Parts: sequence; C-alpha cells; structure tokens
Amino acid sequence: MRFTLAFATLRRHPARTLLAILGIAVAAALLLDMVMLATGMSESFRSLLMTRGYQLRVSPKGTLPFDSEATIDGATGIVAALRASPDIKAVSPVLGATLSMPSEKMPTAFALGLERGVQGDYTVERGTDISDVDGNVIHAVVSRTFLERSGYDVGDTITIAAGIDAQLRTAARTRRAVLAGQARFIYVPNETPVIALALPALRAMLGSGFRDRMSLAMVESRANDSTKVEAVRAWIAQTQPRVTAISTDTAIRQVEERLSYFRQLAFVLGAISLGIGFLLVSTLVTLSVNERRGEIAVLRAIGTQRTGVLQQVLLEGLMLSGAGIIAGLGLGVITAQWLNTILRDFPGLPAAFNFFVWSPGAAWRSLALLLVSGSIAGLLPAWRAASTPVARALREEAVG
Amino acid sequence: MASDYGLKVGDIARISASPGVTGDSVRIAAIFERRADPSEVARTELRVRLHLDQLQQLLGLDDRVDRFAVGVRAGADADSAVGRINHVAFGFRAHRSRDVAVGSSRTFRVVERFHRAIGIITIVASAVFLLCLLLLTVEERRRDIAALRLMGISRATVVRAVVIEATIVSLLGSGIGALIGWISSLLVNAHYQAVYRTPLTFALLTPGIFWFATSLSLALGIAAGALAAWRLVRTPPLALMGR
Repeated sequence: MRFTLAFATLRRHPARTLLAILGIAVAAALLLDMVMLATGMSESFRSLLMTRGYQLRVSPKGTLPFDSEATIDGATGIVAALRASPDIKAVSPVLGATLSMPSEKMPTAFALGLERGVQGDYTVERGTDISDVDGNVIHAVVSRTFLERSGYDVGDTITIAAGIDAQLRTAARTRRAVLAGQARFIYVPNETPVIALALPALRAMLGSGFRDRMSLAMVESRANDSTKVEAVRAWIAQTQPRVTAISTDTAIRQVEERLSYFRQLAFVLGAISLGIGFLLVSTLVTLSVNERRGEIAVLRAIGTQRTGVLQQVLLEGLMLSGAGIIAGLGLGVITAQWLNTILRDFPGLPAAFNFFVWSPGAAWRSLALLLVSGSIAGLLPAWRAASTPVARALREEAVG
Repeated sequence: MASDYGLKVGDIARISASPGVTGDSVRIAAIFERRADPSEVARTELRVRLHLDQLQQLLGLDDRVDRFAVGVRAGADADSAVGRINHVAFGFRAHRSRDVAVGSSRTFRVVERFHRAIGIITIVASAVFLLCLLLLTVEERRRDIAALRLMGISRATVVRAVVIEATIVSLLGSGIGALIGWISSLLVNAHYQAVYRTPLTFALLTPGIFWFATSLSLALGIAAGALAAWRLVRTPPLALMGR
C-alpha cells in the first residue's frame, strides 16, 4: 500500500521525477567511477606484480626495479645465495639494456636477459621460447610492437648489436638472432619494442662490464603469508648489503605515493557525488512534502499513524535513490571504461595496468552509501510531514 | 636532497657509482630547485649535477653521453639539420626539440584529457542538479504565479520575472562558486606543491574558465527558469491554486 502510494506520488510529476533520477544517476556514476579509480590502481598493480607468484623484487640499493639504469654487480653470487635459502622457492634474475637493430624504422629496442625456466616477465603467444646460444645464433622472443615496427616476423633472422661507436661507425659486438617467438610482456609498456634473450647471451652482447650483472631479481617465497614473506625480505636486506629488497605491498605503497593525486581526486569527487545525491533527494522530497501538506493532513485526520506517513515519505526518497543508482550503475561502468582508455595512454605503464577496476565489494558499499545517504536526505522532510499539525494544515489547505 | 640530508653550499659529500664503494669527494657549489616540469612531477629521485667529464670518470664511461643538445645557426633550418644528422648518424638519432617536448609532456597531456573528461561528467551532473533545483523552486511558487495571473499580469511578464530571478540566482551562484574554486585552487596548489616538492601550478582559475563557468550556469539558469515558468503560465491559474 505504502509502496503504491509512494510510487503514485512520484508518477504525479514525471518530468521532475525523471530529472531527479537522472541527477542521482550521474552522481552515482561519478561515485562508482571514483571508487573504481581509488581501489583499481592498487588492485591492478597487485595482480600485475603477482602474475607469476613472485612476491619480492631485488633491485640495486636505493632504487625501484628499472627506475634507473643502475645494475647489481656480483649477480651470480647473490642469486646462488638466494637460491640456497630453504625459504625461497624460485629466483629469476633479469638484465635490461638497449640493443641496436638493423631496422631504419626502429634503430633500438629494449632487451631483457632472462633465465627461461624461471622467467616471469612474458608469456609466449606464438612460436617458441628463448633458448641458450645455439652455435652462433641466439633464439629470441619479441613483442608484437617489435614485429610491427621492424617489419620482421617470427622465424626471421636479424642482426643485433651492442657497443656502438659513432665515430668509427662500428659495433663492438654483433650477433645473429632468430626471432623464435612472439610474447606478451607483462611489465613493459605496449609502445616499447622488446626483445628477450637468454641471460648469458645478453651479458655476452653487452661486454665484459656486464659479465656478472643483473638489473633486478624476482624472488618467490615458499610461504605465501605476508609475515613470512616479510621475514624473507628482511633476511635478504640483512645478508645482501648491495641490494634493496621490496615486497609487493611496499611496491604498491610506493606506486600509490606517486599516483596519490588520483586517489585524492577520487576521494574529493566521490564526496561531492554523495553531497549532490543527498541534496537532490532532500530538495525534491522537501518540495514534494510541502506541496502535499493538505494531503498528508487528510491522511493523518483519517487515522494514519505518524510512523505511516514517515515511512511513506522515506520510501519516496528510497525509491528515487534506488532508481537513480540502478541507472547510475550502467552509466558508471561505461564512463569508467572511457576514463580508463584515456589514462591508459600514460607513458611507461605496463599494458595490463588499469586505473579503473570493478571491485564488487567496494562498488556495492559505495552505492549502498549513496542509497543510505538518499534515505537520510528524506528523513527530515519525512519527520516534518509526520509532525504536521492536522487542523492547521487542513485549514490552510481549505483557505489557501 | 639538500633538505632531506641537511646539505648546504660548501659541504663535502661522497658520491659513487655503486653502493658500498667509497667513491669521490665533491664540494657542493650550489643548490638548485626542480623545474616546474609536469613530466617530472611524480618522480621522487634525488638529483646531483656534475661536470660531464667528472661524471664520465665516476661512472667509468670514458667518452660517452646520453644525448647532445644542438643549436643551429640563425636562419638555418632545424628540420634539414635533423635530416642531415640522421643521414650520417650511426647508433643515435636526432630529434627536433619540439618533438622531444611533445613526447616528454605526454604525461601532462593525458592528465589534461582526463581532467577534461572528468570536467564533462561534472558539468553534466551540475547541469542536471541546477535544472532540477530551478524547476522545483519555480514549481513551488505555483500559488504566487497563479495570484499574479489572476491579478491580470500577462504571461510574458511572469515569464520575464521568473527568468530575471533565475538569472540573478545563477549569477550569484557563479560568483560564490568562483570564490570557492579560487580558494580551492590555492589549497590544491599548496598541498600538491608540498607533496611533490615542485613549484608547478596544479590548479589555476583563469578568466577563460571563470567566464565559461559563469556563462554555462547563466545559460542553464535562464533555460531552466524559462522552461519552468512557461509550463506554469500555460496552466490555468485556478488549477495552479488547486481549485
């Protein structure tokens, strides 16, 4: 009965109701987007870091992985010491460098040196994986961007070079490489052409200075709970003074610090959305109640309880908010995709990184908050309606 | 770096290419401030400027550099200079400063596009909110308008009065909004300049933005006022009175 009455009241002014629902829908969409932005970056970055199960990154002292060109010397000893630990399941050393290519369109490419059995940097999509040096030919895996820019295809053999001397117009070291496969690189931006080689092959290409170097090592702890992972991190920090070991949580915290602007923007705009939703519902319900003072007085005069009037007016606010939120849910998902497409153009971000991630818990909580806020917005006018002095309201309605 | 490590001009510090190595002693000759460069705003690394030969020696890089800045003679064409350099280049490429600037400001352009998109959503939200409020405010005065019509005031006069009222409300709202926006921009700048330790201006209320916001709110206000007033004056006055 109350539901029917509330519905009839809203239907009495269809334009007004539609406009209010549209306003709440836009507010709900903005709130949803901001919640997705605030939680999405952490979630996306965490899932990116945990793609292959490596919980720790070991980088040159005082740096983040690949944040500078610094490398770790004595890599073989460090990797052996880490692998000897009973708490460590796997260690994947990685060396990054720039190699010269024969292509006019793509004179250089980012090269990764990896150990095939433990690498956690790419997934082969086509062809075969990297392999150790076979005679004088290296078997390499490249990214789609590499193939597109260079014009080569899987199976082609190319010449790669390092140690370019511009004055003598010669390269200190050149090798023939077979493009054995195409891979999706997890941590490298889409726009970067990448070539992955076996670690010893890349070290040999770069010369004696890189004979025993790595840019970082990814470490997988046997235990998965954060306390034990932190214990492994502390052990590495204590026993290896030339490196910095960071856990996934620390890496996420540091990235969040760099991108704190977006979280704060999300918080401010989310709060504004809640405020707009609250104001819209409270204004609409207040005006609706003022218009129906006589009607409410008649209801009270024929015996309707105060709580009944209160519930009905509250129900109006709830129905407005509910309809707006349902519309806002779809609108929010669409706008989130649009905003995500814009932000994914950020230079240097891994291809799999997303700013807006649908997190059901956070999304439902925020929309529930808007629903509660809309209901509370109807509380004051509902209370005023329920407290209307019956005789005075009827007289005012009759006299005008 | 100077504030984090308590360094001042004249102090002696030790720097090295690898952690744990003694390195070289350097005297701090000056302390510089980071440029207001959007592409560097989120980077938190510490920076030291050295003479090129001293850095090459420290890193063991002999005669290597990361890049050259090349100035062409007055009247010379930069594009043809770039073409000539690239024709003979081996192991490097020349780029026009304009292209480098476009590339390095990509972060800033992405943020700008994101702000524009958020701005569009906010404008839609505030437009709906404004329309809703003005429509409801005018609708609430059904009896006043009915009384005016019964007194013989013409429809056009009533509509004009409501539109003038909506215009004044929109102008006042825009003024208050601009003031809030200006105060917010001061707070935003103070906060983010401290967070990112940069003189970069993050929020700026320009005359263009002010006039755009005011015009938009004025246009919406007039449209909403006219629409609501027109709907009411077309309804018979007695019906507006509830009779």
